[in-house]
Amino acid sequence: MIFLQSISTLFSNDYYTFWVVAAGAGIICFAAGTVGTFSYLRKRALLGDVISHAVLPGVVISFMLTGVKDSLYFLTGATISGLISIAIVDYVQSKSKLKPDTILALTLSVFFGVGIVLLTKIQHSGNGAQSGLDSFLFGKAASMSLHDVTLFSIIAIINTICIVLFIRPFSLISFDEEYAKGIGFNVKFIKYFLAMLTVITVSIGIQSVGIVLMAALLITPASGARFLTNAIPKMIFYAGFFACISGIIGVFISSTGTSMPTGPWIVVVLSSFTLLAIFFGKEKGIFARMQTRKSNQIKINNENILKIVYKTSKEGTISVPIQDIFKESSDKSIRLTLKRLEKNNIISRVKGMIFLHENGKIAAREVIRKHRLWEIYLSKYFQLEADHLHDDAEGIEHIITPEIEKHLITLLDRPEKDPHQSEIPY
Amino acid sequence: MTDPIIEAHNLTVLYGRKPAIWNVDFKLPEKQVIGIMGPNGSGKSTLLKTIMGIIPPSTGYTKVYNQELDRVRDKISYVPQRQEIDWDFPASVWDIVAMGRFHKRGLFKRLTSEDNDIISDSLQKVNMLGYAKRQISQLSGGQQQRIFLARAIAQQGDLFLMDEPFAGVDIATEEMIIALLKEMKSQGKTLIIVHHDLHTAQSYFDHLVLMNTRLVACGKIADVFTDQVLTDTYGGKLTTISKISQELENKEFPIRHK
Repeated sequence: MIFLQSISTLFSNDYYTFWVVAAGAGIICFAAGTVGTFSYLRKRALLGDVISHAVLPGVVISFMLTGVKDSLYFLTGATISGLISIAIVDYVQSKSKLKPDTILALTLSVFFGVGIVLLTKIQHSGNGAQSGLDSFLFGKAASMSLHDVTLFSIIAIINTICIVLFIRPFSLISFDEEYAKGIGFNVKFIKYFLAMLTVITVSIGIQSVGIVLMAALLITPASGARFLTNAIPKMIFYAGFFACISGIIGVFISSTGTSMPTGPWIVVVLSSFTLLAIFFGKEKGIFARMQTRKSNQIKINNENILKIVYKTSKEGTISVPIQDIFKESSDKSIRLTLKRLEKNNIISRVKGMIFLHENGKIAAREVIRKHRLWEIYLSKYFQLEADHLHDDAEGIEHIITPEIEKHLITLLDRPEKDPHQSEIPY
Repeated sequence: MTDPIIEAHNLTVLYGRKPAIWNVDFKLPEKQVIGIMGPNGSGKSTLLKTIMGIIPPSTGYTKVYNQELDRVRDKISYVPQRQEIDWDFPASVWDIVAMGRFHKRGLFKRLTSEDNDIISDSLQKVNMLGYAKRQISQLSGGQQQRIFLARAIAQQGDLFLMDEPFAGVDIATEEMIIALLKEMKSQGKTLIIVHHDLHTAQSYFDHLVLMNTRLVACGKIADVFTDQVLTDTYGGKLTTISKISQELENKEFPIRHK
């Protein structure tokens, strides 16, 4: 109830500032999520960390030069020092034998170190206006003014439009830079343009989540989105969308308490979304993969029972006493499997006997056929003792797809008998 | 030789101080299947990348159709080495082959229905049309090679540069590629292929470049594919040339006395 109340009060006029900040944080996070998708795809996750730390000296120097706390000056300083850090990383990488991770770590610490030194220096200089500069470390979303929010939002929107327009060249260089160069794209320009968008996004992003957590805002949305889709445009959208929602929720949570920090809350919410995606993403998610494994097990159990029924039933009768199946099968969930098969109308149970329906018969013959084909294949192409063939085929018979089966039949020239002289049912 | 399609003149490419290609001169004829062969690390791939303008030469030049590269780039189709790519990238087979049309449409323009037809045709040629929507992470090595080939075909060049297209592919794919190469040759295309299997060289190629950092031989396969030349190219693991290269690298000598 208290929660609902606090939500309803949010829509009253008193909360005008809240909505301004929430909208700003949402838009900034959206921009970070979209541009961050390409950092993720280009495997430059650490570069985001470098940039966000490297903007600090720029912010502080711009304050030292102008003496005022204006977000436009901060932004300019941050962007310049961010771009310099990227240029340094690139230059050192091309001229030295240092490994990329070493170069990134060095650049990050040197820039951040210089930034902290300068920050400490002005804090001790007695200039009253300097207070609050250290809020860049952890963000200061809650104290964003309408002026800040408008400026950042406009830049974030322009940034996102650029990403959408450049989706082709950005995707291309993420996949294969050399090919892009080979077909005549100006890869250097594209790379630096992307870097510039990243730096600008970071420069405005640190206003809401701060330097330390900025890398998370770039990379986390994309890594979650990767579990939801296999297409880049959708991935960009999901990353931006979840980052945006996290931004708004983060601002909301931090507004409920007096000393709740915004940036960390945004990142916590974002990480929760990403964890959810890792668990529940279709196809790639952990849950989906468990589901696949389960349905595979069901398929195996079904086919094994059908095989037993088919094999043990005497010629023409296709019915077996249930006890015989219990004797033959090592499957522990045998009752469940029988019930399922009965429900799917593949077998029926009458007075302790199991009858195989026509579709069950076809399915059983199919498994047996695959089993025997695989045995022939193994014995023909590999050195394997005859008594080892069966165990191998017991597993593989469930995996062989219709295409592979067709391929096997052509490859083996439609054989009549398996290595144990049993007939192959076609 | 009439109208060489590719000319390398005094070409040297350095990685740091170590020469990957060292003072190489050759001319290659048009409308042939040409192999580039040599031991590992002999500069074969670097040579292709230099011709494509991906790596700049340190000295000398390569020319294609006797012109500046940028004027003839549209005529060149490129098949990079499959192993250098991250195949877990979120893209479908169609997305990859569509890249073969990007040079025509530039950075922004949408692909037209004509482009789409070309992409389907290219996939058809390598028997992969049925896989168009498949994620590239689900492809086998041979299928990966096929879609790279399809992408090159979609570029509609006259000159094909292929980096190890037969490395790690299944027999069916290898045979398919060979059939495709023959068909393309009969259509007047020139095919330049980095290759490392000596057994198949004679049946695949009309013309051969043998190199080991420096050029060892270049000419018609019958003239070049001799025991002597092959021993010169492949003989010994640490040949004199690589010992010298190592010295240049370790002691920071300049490659040329200045």
